[in-house]
Amino acid sequence: MDPGQFLAIFISAVFINNVILSRFLGLCSFIAISKQTKPAFAMSLAVMFVTTMSSIITWLIYRFLLIPFNMTYLRTISFILVIATFVQFVEMVIRKIAPAMYRFFGIYLPLITVNCAVLGVAVLNSDMFFVQGKTVPYGFVYSTFQGICVGAGYMLAMLLMSAIRERLETCNVPKPLKDFPLGFIIASIMSLAFMGFNGFRF
Amino acid sequence: MNNRLTVLSSPHLHSRESVPRIMWTVVACLIPAGAAGVYLFGMPALRTIAWAAVAAVACEWIIQKLTKKKITVTDGSAIMTGLLLAYNLPADVPFWIPVLGSIFAVAIAKHAFGGLGQNIFNPALVGRAFLVASWPKYLTVFTKPGYDAVTSATPLAMLKEGRLAEQIPYLDLFLGRRAGCIGEVCIVALAAGALFLLIRGYISWHIPASFIATVGIFTYIFGPKGFFTGDWLFHILSGGLILGAFFMATDYVTSPPTARGHLIFGVGCGILTSVIRLWGGYPEGVSYAILMMNAATPLIDRFTKPRIYGTAKRKKATGTGV
Amino acid sequence: MKSLNELIKGLIKENPAFVLMLGLCPFLAVSVSIANGIGMGVAATFVLVCSNVIISAIKNFIPARIRIPCYIVVIATFVTITELVMKAYSPALNRALGIYVPLIVVNCIVLGRAEAFASKNNVRDSLFDGIGMGIGFTLALLLISGIREFLGAGKLFSLTVIKSFEPALVIAMPPGALLVIALLLGFFNLIKGRK
Repeated sequence: MDPGQFLAIFISAVFINNVILSRFLGLCSFIAISKQTKPAFAMSLAVMFVTTMSSIITWLIYRFLLIPFNMTYLRTISFILVIATFVQFVEMVIRKIAPAMYRFFGIYLPLITVNCAVLGVAVLNSDMFFVQGKTVPYGFVYSTFQGICVGAGYMLAMLLMSAIRERLETCNVPKPLKDFPLGFIIASIMSLAFMGFNGFRF
Repeated sequence: MNNRLTVLSSPHLHSRESVPRIMWTVVACLIPAGAAGVYLFGMPALRTIAWAAVAAVACEWIIQKLTKKKITVTDGSAIMTGLLLAYNLPADVPFWIPVLGSIFAVAIAKHAFGGLGQNIFNPALVGRAFLVASWPKYLTVFTKPGYDAVTSATPLAMLKEGRLAEQIPYLDLFLGRRAGCIGEVCIVALAAGALFLLIRGYISWHIPASFIATVGIFTYIFGPKGFFTGDWLFHILSGGLILGAFFMATDYVTSPPTARGHLIFGVGCGILTSVIRLWGGYPEGVSYAILMMNAATPLIDRFTKPRIYGTAKRKKATGTGV
Repeated sequence: MKSLNELIKGLIKENPAFVLMLGLCPFLAVSVSIANGIGMGVAATFVLVCSNVIISAIKNFIPARIRIPCYIVVIATFVTITELVMKAYSPALNRALGIYVPLIVVNCIVLGRAEAFASKNNVRDSLFDGIGMGIGFTLALLLISGIREFLGAGKLFSLTVIKSFEPALVIAMPPGALLVIALLLGFFNLIKGRK
């Protein structure tokens, strides 16, 4: 296992190909829930958990179910079903055993089912760590790590954005640009800044 | 407007300082570096500076006229943006590069956020990042100082490509006898302006000191021939570090207000700059580092907010619903 | 007449991308060139129309509590069909659109129309609603990808338009996508404010 590979995955997933700012996955939730830091933080924790778990589950399904039975064309449909089921399941479990936590980020969980970031990382993993129907060495570890990093990238963008937007609450932004347009402008400048990491080599 | 404005408790000090006074002082302190740039790179440098400054002021005037706001082009902030942008460009660029950069800086990075005092990002750096991403072929060609104007790579770019054949004398770096952007090359001139700002208390030492020290220590530790072999002085004197640390990272609006926040901001800038310089694709990372820390400033503010005197320190940061 | 209304409301009044702010992920990611934009628009429209029709046809057989998973299965089926067809007949387009083709599954427009419209209306109206929304989405894609291809690459439909024009490469990159949509939305708000 190459430690440099981990760093490359980390820098790529968090900065260069940031799931929101560069791949535009989970953009809807990013713009909608980033008005305040606390819910933004809760949402990103939930997303991070789900991206990690769904990376693990979808890798197992792809490796031990879809490839052996030659059904990789069912990737999209099986992944989304598994993710939806998993999210439902987690929601039920959390509601049962940790009501406080459920109140903290329970309402965001159902939204995650249709959060493109989750399906996106599953599809990316199966594109990146499977070569011609075979898993690359340590593909499972890389996939899991990429799931965590994509979640971390989501959290970074969410936290920065929500803090900025909280501060802008007191500013007299030009009226046509209020809310969504300015949100996109901030995201654009953040994306420009993260371009500084382009071509990262360790 | 709603009542979300936070006013700290008294005492509120009154001072003779005003926004225009501060801005014009900073502009004045920037002049030596620009003059040195013009001396080193010749007339093209002066032309670039003029275009950038005029475009920034004109753009501000037009926007304020169109939105029927108070015209504040005389407060010096627009011209400062123009100057800083030009200082971050190579001397020999087509005239429309500084013009478009200034327009982008003033219109998108400043007035879209509501104007001076509300921008999150340093406008000049946003303008530069936009130009670098848009027209890289103009922004990465530098001329060597001198009459014959040969194009040459900057010392940092040569280092990155492993072409730094021989050591550039530190004195040359110090005086600005190297390829680079207009306003970043002459360290002496920059230091003179910065010293004035420091002595008069316009900027505090925290951000520049922590920024520069972090870059020095980081590049020394992760040297090319193993740990603790880095040429830290070279890294401090080359690139836009001095210009960025004293004149752009210290911008009041886009950096944290507290001393603790300053230190976090400076160290963050330093680490990001060094990481990009050592392992990134671009030879220089100062402007990106400052932009990234600009984005983090509201977050830093949340965690370094001064405690109101007399209130208890909160026991636990419960997700900080401040 | 009602069907016609369902058709044209998606074009401007309830344009999925600009007004309802749905389906932005593929919208921004693939709008680098007009060809990609049209490809994505057509693919999404196909999925939207088919799933709208099927869902409105079977809406009475689906138990309310598990309706969302059922919708997702229907949608995912059509997405898979699209994926396979695209892979077979237009591999270049498939490569250009990349992971954003399977991601049509979680495109908020498709699921949103299924939940908000097709589950409550008859097949005919749902068909027209799907067509209208699909065309609206495609038009919006056409607009933004046209702007981005022109400013970012100096081309339209992959043809160079003005020789001496030096394109701003950033517009073709992610920051440019965010910038263009920000300015477009601001522009629409401005017009709305004037009226």
